Amino acid sequence: MGSEPGGCGLRRFSCELGPLGRPDGSAALLQGDTSVLAGLYGPAEVKVSKELYDKATVEVLLKPKVGLPGVFEKNREQLIRKTCEAALLGALHPRTSITIVLQVISDAGSLLACCLNAACMGLMDAGLPMKSLFCGVTCTLDATGAIGLDPTAKQEKEARAVVTFAISSVERQVLMSTTKGTCSVEELQQCIAAAQRASGAIFQFYRDSVRRKYSKT
Amino acid sequence: MAAAEAGALPAEQRVGQVVLPGDVLLLPAHPEADGERLWLGPGAALPGRLVCGPGLRSCGAGLLVTKCGLLRHRQAGGAGGGSGGAYWVDSQQKRYVPVKGDHVIGIVTIKAGDIFKVDVGGSEQASLSYLAFEGATKRNRPNVQVGDLIYGQFIVANKDMEPEMVCIDSSGRANGMGVIGHEGLLFKVSLGLIRKLLAPNCEIIQELGQLYPFEIVFGMNGRIWVKAKTIQQTLIVANILEACEHMTAEQRTQAFAKLSER
Amino acid sequence: MKETPLSNCERRFLLRAIEERKRLDGRQSYDYRNVRISFGADYGCCIVELGRTRVLGQVSCELVSPKLNRATEGILFFNLELSPMAAPAFEPGRQSDLLVKLNRLLERCLRNSKCIDTESLCVVAGVKVWQIRVDLHLLNHDGNIIDAASIAAIVALCHFRRPDVSVQGEEVTLYTPEERDPVPLSIHHMPICVSFAFFQQGTYLLVDPSEREERVMDGLLVIAMNKHREICTIQSSGGIMLLKDQVLRCSKITGVKVAEITELIQKALENDRKVRKEGGKFGFAESIPDQKISAFKMERALVDTKDVEEQAEEIITKADSPSDVFAKPVLRMPGMAQLGEGIENSWGDLEESEREEEEEGNSDDATTSEGQKMEMEERNVVRNTKKGDDTIVLSDSEEEEVVILEPEERPKKTRSSGGMVKHPWGSQKEIHGTKPALHFYFPYPCHPPPLP
Repeated sequence: MGSEPGGCGLRRFSCELGPLGRPDGSAALLQGDTSVLAGLYGPAEVKVSKELYDKATVEVLLKPKVGLPGVFEKNREQLIRKTCEAALLGALHPRTSITIVLQVISDAGSLLACCLNAACMGLMDAGLPMKSLFCGVTCTLDATGAIGLDPTAKQEKEARAVVTFAISSVERQVLMSTTKGTCSVEELQQCIAAAQRASGAIFQFYRDSVRRKYSKT
Repeated sequence: MAAAEAGALPAEQRVGQVVLPGDVLLLPAHPEADGERLWLGPGAALPGRLVCGPGLRSCGAGLLVTKCGLLRHRQAGGAGGGSGGAYWVDSQQKRYVPVKGDHVIGIVTIKAGDIFKVDVGGSEQASLSYLAFEGATKRNRPNVQVGDLIYGQFIVANKDMEPEMVCIDSSGRANGMGVIGHEGLLFKVSLGLIRKLLAPNCEIIQELGQLYPFEIVFGMNGRIWVKAKTIQQTLIVANILEACEHMTAEQRTQAFAKLSER
Repeated sequence: MKETPLSNCERRFLLRAIEERKRLDGRQSYDYRNVRISFGADYGCCIVELGRTRVLGQVSCELVSPKLNRATEGILFFNLELSPMAAPAFEPGRQSDLLVKLNRLLERCLRNSKCIDTESLCVVAGVKVWQIRVDLHLLNHDGNIIDAASIAAIVALCHFRRPDVSVQGEEVTLYTPEERDPVPLSIHHMPICVSFAFFQQGTYLLVDPSEREERVMDGLLVIAMNKHREICTIQSSGGIMLLKDQVLRCSKITGVKVAEITELIQKALENDRKVRKEGGKFGFAESIPDQKISAFKMERALVDTKDVEEQAEEIITKADSPSDVFAKPVLRMPGMAQLGEGIENSWGDLEESEREEEEEGNSDDATTSEGQKMEMEERNVVRNTKKGDDTIVLSDSEEEEVVILEPEERPKKTRSSGGMVKHPWGSQKEIHGTKPALHFYFPYPCHPPPLP
């Protein structure tokens, strides 16, 4: 894949909608060499202890490839869950559960963004009602303040700051943001602007892949 | 930005195309516009009224798409005119959500006193009274065992209540509903395929019917029960229907031609 | 989540089909489903598909101190996980009987058969050895997990490369892949499990059962074998009695299947090695077939980020400067300061909901149940007034409802209106109709009444 010349490009995206037979919705997504498989069940039966009477209970499980999930995964699960809740119309299915299982297949940078994208494609495949779509975009800032998009693991390591956003398809609103490293307010705004532009390409990718899936019906 | 712009197109132009959640469909401006122009829910379309079907919600002056799939439109019957009719999104889902009036195939899981609990593939088991069978009385109970298949209809199905099934119509007749025979095969397909198969004049069913006689029951919850004369014939029907999920009409005719040669 | 129950008619049909030597997917009794192997970009990562059953395997390594009784041997560790995505009935983090059984069988098949040369994993005897960890994740469950998992485990082990090390005196140097090529593990042989399902007390036999076939089978026989026809482990479960002939026949079939699968694995490994050597494209992206209708690829997309700086500046200049929310710190006493006095409390939401709850509770006492749509509430009030103005009766009736509706919760806090939302009206009526007297004297049906 190599490093980006200007640092302003998304890696190659590949996806497969509905690769798994058992779940109600599934999606395999590759961003460069980073790959995540999402499988989800819902609206399904909910445990009494987790039941909410006015909306669906959304659960996100992030499974690392090696070992058991730890604090790092739990933290990301929360970020993804909040993003999904913001996009889903959970009130349409009260007293049910929506379980999203994300399996890391390979981590070569921008893992959280890839998880978010896989989760959204999985939700689309399952046909759950959503207000809008969302996508994840990771930006890096290097020592000179130059912005890079969709970084590889190596670029993430070299960067001064790594910022990940979840962006909604409606008016490109920012649903979630998380940062690592230091950056100024101006730089953060620049990252948002860059991520918003990158989201256009990702939403177009969603649209094209769904269009292809429905091309025979 | 392209996606957002593509979303805000007039609804008529996008019929038959793929729509994604978050897309906004514009409706033609209405001269006698009033607050209740949009008619939500499965009720009958009044002339000039618009029915906003599955996968769509009203938002402002247009419709908000909430599911991905193909946008469909049906003109209102009678004096509807151009603006009436129904829009909905045809999506390929696997998970069933109970809808009032739907005919489904359920599996009895519990016999609890006066009711049976029936698994219909939704988020909650449906309840079925033992009196909701043709000819059933308090003395004359229907013979239903745990694990039996039930073909019934929802009389209560909404998001806040436990779904309730019956095996009789409004006049107390079975009308084809009840316990499905003890033989035959049950299998699952996507909800989109079921809708396609149940559409009037479905080619697949007509072509299948020319092969050999068989009994078949379609449940709106994606379950199909088939029984032919032999096990082999039953398996053939089941496999053809499963394969129809991702076949074009041409591929299907070829497959049928191969079968009838045998 | 519960598994969809198996209906009687499916069970009957499956068994009858097996009697006629027919299977749902059109296979013959001894046919194995298609096996597909794809590799990830990392070493030691593979996905094995056996029909629609799918397992992800990943091997990793770590330098650890060896076990005391085996100072010169590396450690092999297997961990199979039944991910909740594979089937709705699998719960995260739960050690089910099935999982324990599968893990144990995998260990017996791969570790106890000594397929990996553990002595070659020793770096410094008694001080440092390699621990090889094999993580297997079941991604989709369509029967015969053990065969798919054993293939994934051995493929991942064959594909794996560990970093090279050198020892000089006491010092151990680890080399990165750039410095020295990583080294493969030394593998003696490749044991592979083959499962046989038995029906009707062993009268009928099927190779590689699917999920629905597994649900109606009487017993299962798993044989692990390598291509030299050496049996590595054998396990019969389900309590069926097998004849010697049957076991012998199964082991013969296993020999044939193992030979086929081993050949497939070697081809796949060879292919991957060639692609990597020639610098071609590899990884999972290449394993998704282009012509598949559900798959889609987008080549690298360039995003124009030239004028983001101006856009960002514009946003910042337009934005209101943050209001000065910091109150002056107050020094309460030496060692304790307080910040933010007089600022609006953002916990208002929480308090409000609490207040609401209290109000709901109080509305029982006040006969005006304003804004309450629930019929029950009104009936409750009517009931209370019937019984007279005795306040003890009132509180008792409140408890009575709580105990019945939500038996697991303590009656103190829950209000009747909260409990009722979840329950159908029907049962409520019944409770009132049948056992009012009981409640009167035993407010806690599950516990003995307090002594007077």
